[in-house]
Amino acid sequence: MTADVMIQASDLTKRFGSVRALDKISFEVEKGEVVGFLGPNGAGKSTTMRILTCFLAPTSGTAKVCGVDVFDDPLEVRRNLGYLPQRAPLYTDMVVRDYLKFVADVRGLDAAAFRRSLESIIEVCGLAQVLDKDISALSHGFRQRVGLGQALLHNPQILVLDEPTADLDPNEKAEVIRYIKEIGKDRTVLLSTHNLSEVEEACARAIIVSKGKVVADGPLEEIRSKTGSVRYVVTVDERQGMPGKSAPNVAELRQALERIRGAVRSRELPTDEKVHKVELSGAKDSDLRAEIFQLMVAQGWLMLELRRDAQSLDAVFRDLTRGDEAMDRGLAFDDGDSDEDDESDDTDSESDDDSDASGDAEADAAVSGTEEKKDA
Amino acid sequence: MNTLLTIAKREFRAYFDSPLAYVVICLSFFGLGLMFFMYQGGYWQIDRATLQPLFEYVPAGLAMLVVPVVTMRLMSEERRSGTLEMLITLPVKDSDVIMGKYLGALGLVLTVVLASLAYPILMFKFPWTLGPMDMGPVLSGYVGLVLYSAAAVAVGLLISSLTESQAVSFFITFFVLGAFWFSGSMADQMDGTFANVLHYVSFQSRMTGFMRGLIDTRDVVFFLSITILALVVSFRSLERRKWA
Repeated sequence: MTADVMIQASDLTKRFGSVRALDKISFEVEKGEVVGFLGPNGAGKSTTMRILTCFLAPTSGTAKVCGVDVFDDPLEVRRNLGYLPQRAPLYTDMVVRDYLKFVADVRGLDAAAFRRSLESIIEVCGLAQVLDKDISALSHGFRQRVGLGQALLHNPQILVLDEPTADLDPNEKAEVIRYIKEIGKDRTVLLSTHNLSEVEEACARAIIVSKGKVVADGPLEEIRSKTGSVRYVVTVDERQGMPGKSAPNVAELRQALERIRGAVRSRELPTDEKVHKVELSGAKDSDLRAEIFQLMVAQGWLMLELRRDAQSLDAVFRDLTRGDEAMDRGLAFDDGDSDEDDESDDTDSESDDDSDASGDAEADAAVSGTEEKKDA
Repeated sequence: MNTLLTIAKREFRAYFDSPLAYVVICLSFFGLGLMFFMYQGGYWQIDRATLQPLFEYVPAGLAMLVVPVVTMRLMSEERRSGTLEMLITLPVKDSDVIMGKYLGALGLVLTVVLASLAYPILMFKFPWTLGPMDMGPVLSGYVGLVLYSAAAVAVGLLISSLTESQAVSFFITFFVLGAFWFSGSMADQMDGTFANVLHYVSFQSRMTGFMRGLIDTRDVVFFLSITILALVVSFRSLERRKWA
């Protein structure tokens, strides 16, 4: 282990009763890196972070933070890192300033040090206007910022942030990501999320976990090229074809598209308009746009739109973790999962996740239970 | 040590940041006054300058109302809202968390208990002097009250650390402390070994000595043992989260 490795997890395994939440997770985070920790709900992100912050103990395996083993000296580990748990649980009966003062006192900061770091936190996290408000009166976005602030109070070298942008509106998300980028300039940050655009924006490297295992770890570019396919979105008028020709139905359209050489599979995308919108995946590095256009002309179909997406991180993520979700929910994997769905799932499983801390295997059963219902 | 006090201070202040502390203090004094002066003729009926009824009603009131209300949120609320994770991932020892919360809650209960000192002071010193007060039983009575509060709060903390629901925590604490209090009276109706056991663990019979001015080492040790036992089990139940 080199001196620059700030977080080192080796073979972390965690069981809750009969449920294996983590299965030999290993990774390292080096000094100055901002790493995105990705995975579907229940993949073990929070559990890993709780082990790193010594809230939970691993069933087996070791973790070191700043070279200190979480078993040997949990207090030293916690002194070295700032942690923002999921959904920023704060004491809602306190005023922001008092809360920050409380955290500073527990961390043993003296008055002068507290004043200095408070100033910088107000600036970095934009807390000036809420400093003397009750935490209970704050919006979720501001709570998240206060949570970020308390994690920064002692100016830690390492920050562990558990879904800092969950439940935020798009503006707040952008803000928080901006803060994290700012903070990450001179710190090591491990950031869990399932919002991929955030990872692309804030992190240079990502670790993707699924079912308690690391399925990908590396620079974003590398992960992006890992599972290769290109996506085409074809929109065809469903009411009329070109003069003298009739419009296709979805089945015809998909069959025709899939017959194109190099096409892998297709699926219908939901739409409000009177059109068929079909997503076609093609082999990596291929370009089927010309073929698609020729097909349309030959059939006399009215193509309204054709778009080619390079492999997005989103799709990689889905490819890497799809088996996981399909299995967890006891359903065939449905690509049509919209982002909104993910968000709401998130909230549910997180609260269940919390009870994991108290170690109920039942809670886990409940997670899959509720998720199944949701999907059905 | 310092972190312990910081946590205790926050816990104590939290009671006053919410209406809870005020409600508890006001209502318990209203109730105590009513019981002390009015119930079955109350103080006037006894016709002696004694505060013995005070030491009868205060612990019963503590057991029935104050302690369960004060301790119900200690750990339950933190666990439910997730703030426990925030607290514990600060550089604090688990024992500091337990002791800090314990002292914070005990602080409020003792505030209530010590505020009842107003009774002897107002009645026998200034502005009224209702007769010569027997200082001995009053002092030993307060020693007993403090020990009793220490044990009761520890039991409440333990129960709060076992559940995420404040309501469940309230009712179980209410029931357990009530049972411990009345087991003495129950034992009086029975005989045999079971009655002896009930009598032995009864907070009420343990308090009788203190009320009469007798500080018995056995009673002191009894209350301290309950306190320590409950604190250790609370500590274990907090630690358990790591391994379960």
